[in-house]
Amino acid sequence: MSSHSHSEHNAQHYYEGDQSKLYSGVMNHHFGHDLNSTESKKQVGRIWKVFWILLVVTVVEVILGMFFSHNMPKGLVAFFFLALTLFKAGYIVAVFMHLGDEMRNFLITVLIPLTLFVWFIIAFLADGGFWLHMNKTSPTRGATTQQEATH
Amino acid sequence: MPQATATTAETKLWGGGRSPFNVSYGKMMMWFFLLSDAFTFGAFLISYGTTRFFSAVWPDANQVFHAFPFMGEKNLPLLFVSLMTFILIMSSVTMVLAVHAGHYGDRKGVIKWLLFTIIGGIAFLSCQAWEWTHLNHQGAWWGSFTDPSTPLSSIKHFFNHETAETAAFASGAGLQATHDFYNYFFTITGFHGGHVASGVVLLILALINTVNGTYDRRGHYEMVEKIGLYWHFVDLVWVFVFTCFYLL
Repeated sequence: MSSHSHSEHNAQHYYEGDQSKLYSGVMNHHFGHDLNSTESKKQVGRIWKVFWILLVVTVVEVILGMFFSHNMPKGLVAFFFLALTLFKAGYIVAVFMHLGDEMRNFLITVLIPLTLFVWFIIAFLADGGFWLHMNKTSPTRGATTQQEATH
Repeated sequence: MPQATATTAETKLWGGGRSPFNVSYGKMMMWFFLLSDAFTFGAFLISYGTTRFFSAVWPDANQVFHAFPFMGEKNLPLLFVSLMTFILIMSSVTMVLAVHAGHYGDRKGVIKWLLFTIIGGIAFLSCQAWEWTHLNHQGAWWGSFTDPSTPLSSIKHFFNHETAETAAFASGAGLQATHDFYNYFFTITGFHGGHVASGVVLLILALINTVNGTYDRRGHYEMVEKIGLYWHFVDLVWVFVFTCFYLL
């Protein structure tokens, strides 16, 4: 069996496989089907809905950044912006990149390595903050940084 | 002995057949490439964040990014970058519509939406070229603002008023922060812009193949889908760059 299929293989087949055996749902090949079918229109509607969500969230972010972020506690501003950013990223990955339409175990395979970022961010930002603290408080530093510590 | 033989017979190479992930090899590898690219961009942005946490003062995005083409000296904070973000989101929509048309084998639809996506990509790059030129005219570039004798008046306008009054700003932290800020800004937006530029090249290649009917002969438009993944990733990175540089 394997020798038979090997003779048919070319480089492109290795990369893209037998497409008829892959994909389902909106990712399926609907060759010959009507682009105006309800199924197709439903998917196009979903795409435009995500567009409006992304647009509205971005406008909210810009308004927040322009007018309000200077009068709010720094931590709260950072939390708002990061939450909205992750919200947008989720929609782009799930709908535009179709990861939400892939098999669940593929989704998990792609997402699990990203959890390393949690530690990556905490460790590095804490390090940066610690060095600022050292620069402000170390007696070997110049008088100018001492002044800053009192601010 | 007989047992060992049986084991050897069972451990042969996978003969193929149904993909356990229901995706092709090429598409899976595109995802894994994007995963590695996410770590590259992540490392850049986290190192930017570390330097920022390390600095006593930092430039204010509302002061740095306030210009708009043909508007002269008018103060329009964040407006131009909002336009850039809108262009990139829009091009992501046209890209996913091209992928959708590909699923239905609609060649004309794919051509139309790919063209719009390419125009969006070029528009974004043009905006970025303008922004870089504008900042460069204010003296900003890689390795700029290193001379300790730089007068404070030439960096003061990158900071908000309260920051510019602090002792730390005057004592050299302001100059160091300006230098660091622009090194990171040009490196990260440049690396992102490089991704956009190569994405435009890939899209043009896909467009040529679509026009020539290559994908129709192949029986599917998966190449458009894979380039689409790359394009959406570039949009995704911009979402984070936008937050880190312009909002936070």
